[in-house]
Amino acid sequence: MKSIIVTVFLILLALLSGSVYASIQEASTSLICGDGICSGSETCSTCPADCGTCPPSGGGGGGEAYIPPAPETKVIFSGRAYPKSTVTLLKDAQIAATTIAGVDANFQMSISGLSAGNYIFALYSEDKDGRRSSLLTFPVSVTAGATTNVSGIFIAPTIDVDKSEVKRGDNIAIFGQSAPQADIVISVSSEEEYFAKTISDRDGIYLHNVDTTILDYGVHYTKSKASIGNLLISSYGQVISFKVGTITVLKEIKPEISKGDLNNDNRVNLVDFSIAAYWYKRPLGEAFKIIEKERLNGDGKIDLVDFSIMAFYWTG
Amino acid sequence: MTKIQKIKIILVTCLLSFVAVPAFAAEIFFDAKTREVAIGEQFEVNIFLNTEEEYINAVEGKVIFPENLLELKEIRDGATIVNFWIERPKIKSGPEGEQVPYGASNQIAFSGIIPGGYAGEKGLIFSAIFRVKNEGEGIIEIQEAKTLLNDGKGTEASLSISNLQFLISEEIPPSLVPPTKIIDIDPPESFEPIVAQDPEIFDGKYFLVFLTQDKGSGIDYYEVCEGKRQCVVAESPYLLQNQSLDREIIVKAIDKSGNERIVTLPAQKPAIWYKNYLILAIIILVIAIAYLMWKFLWRKNRR
Repeated sequence: MKSIIVTVFLILLALLSGSVYASIQEASTSLICGDGICSGSETCSTCPADCGTCPPSGGGGGGEAYIPPAPETKVIFSGRAYPKSTVTLLKDAQIAATTIAGVDANFQMSISGLSAGNYIFALYSEDKDGRRSSLLTFPVSVTAGATTNVSGIFIAPTIDVDKSEVKRGDNIAIFGQSAPQADIVISVSSEEEYFAKTISDRDGIYLHNVDTTILDYGVHYTKSKASIGNLLISSYGQVISFKVGTITVLKEIKPEISKGDLNNDNRVNLVDFSIAAYWYKRPLGEAFKIIEKERLNGDGKIDLVDFSIMAFYWTG
Repeated sequence: MTKIQKIKIILVTCLLSFVAVPAFAAEIFFDAKTREVAIGEQFEVNIFLNTEEEYINAVEGKVIFPENLLELKEIRDGATIVNFWIERPKIKSGPEGEQVPYGASNQIAFSGIIPGGYAGEKGLIFSAIFRVKNEGEGIIEIQEAKTLLNDGKGTEASLSISNLQFLISEEIPPSLVPPTKIIDIDPPESFEPIVAQDPEIFDGKYFLVFLTQDKGSGIDYYEVCEGKRQCVVAESPYLLQNQSLDREIIVKAIDKSGNERIVTLPAQKPAIWYKNYLILAIIILVIAIAYLMWKFLWRKNRR
């Protein structure tokens, strides 16, 4: 009798530990088929996207022809960003991969497991101070079973100024980061566009002091582009503004309110798009009116213009 | 009318046409394999964007077609340049038993964005397949169209529109170029749904956002299955029914050819093991048996 009771007790204990283990497993195992990781209960038959196609079953007695795996559909991106910067690749506006550029600013990244079709890929990088570059987009037509190379990418330099307002006649510093030893062209819009040239240092940092005597009173816009040996030329990057006035005001180092970031997570992505889509063609709530004013165009409604602003500041 | 007057009119017309179509305006235009169609045939019309070297990141408009001549059968957006539809082009159909409001059935409204912008000569916005109903001449046109520059301000780009004229006649021989048939065996692209919460929408409740593309036939619809609840056809953003987030969420993306991509999100806040009723019941049972066993042995020893 005693042994029966002990056996029942042990069985119940085993059942209990099994249930606890199963519940822990359920909580910890990520089962996203298509995340590129063959994990958990995923197998080649349940999730070929992550685990690859199943090998042909061995035919007894031989004679079955070997079918080589279908060639991979792949796109390889290579180019220059900023030394040791994080480069993010977006596939149809959603983050597909990230990599770290080398000390020479070179990077290479690839994406595979794609279907044949037209994609819009976009790349951006962040400099050492966390300033983001503008998005660089590439419409790419992907062919099944082929590797497409997108090379010679040159991400535009980042840009900033040390003063939000500068007394006319004083200098204003325009600076940012690009690839090492790159020729930087800085454009300052005035009645006549003013151009200045400088060279980035070995960390890709550039700085140019502009004497504002040549500029009129008012708001001016500046942007920069980089080139290396006349072969690799970037487009112009972000445009930023400063004011030439009667006093000098240093630019605050506090983090700026990110345009397009509606949920304040320092990203502009599908969640922000969904929040804006919720208010599209609806009268805005009082609290959301403030957000719309700060982070979108501030006209008290959500329309195509607000989505365009979001698309410009998109991070994925 | 004198010869001089005629020349004047021609000159003024030429000048006005220059004013109407700026040299570097973006263009929305139609492309069809044929513009002369026989009755009963299907007729594919593609709507393209030419950005004229500008980066355009938002586009909207309405395609208007003569409903006495054409019946809209299908819309294809698998190969579109638009990443996110604000208003996805679709066939207007009222709720079961109800008619589509007058004037809505002959138009296809569309609105969407391309993060980072698109620059190109022939970016497909979407394709529409029509069935030809009656004889006649007609125009498919675009109204209320807008394209916005990728400049962070939503500046409107100058835009020109090229409408499509077509002729339907019984005398036209059957077309040798019917609409392209799409053979799609690939599931939609992989994607990662996100569970989010924001005080500004759904009264601060948890919602799910999801989006993917299908390069073949295009996405047809999505389904969301929460734990043991029945799967429902859903659109993003989707208000979650299970606000305690203690069950897994399955999101299915189904394309127009019926291929499925299934993504499973594990429970965001899994129930703590002692809140699981089965485990709790077993623990109580173990304690009860241990108590009975102890009592039984104690009595036996006493004897």
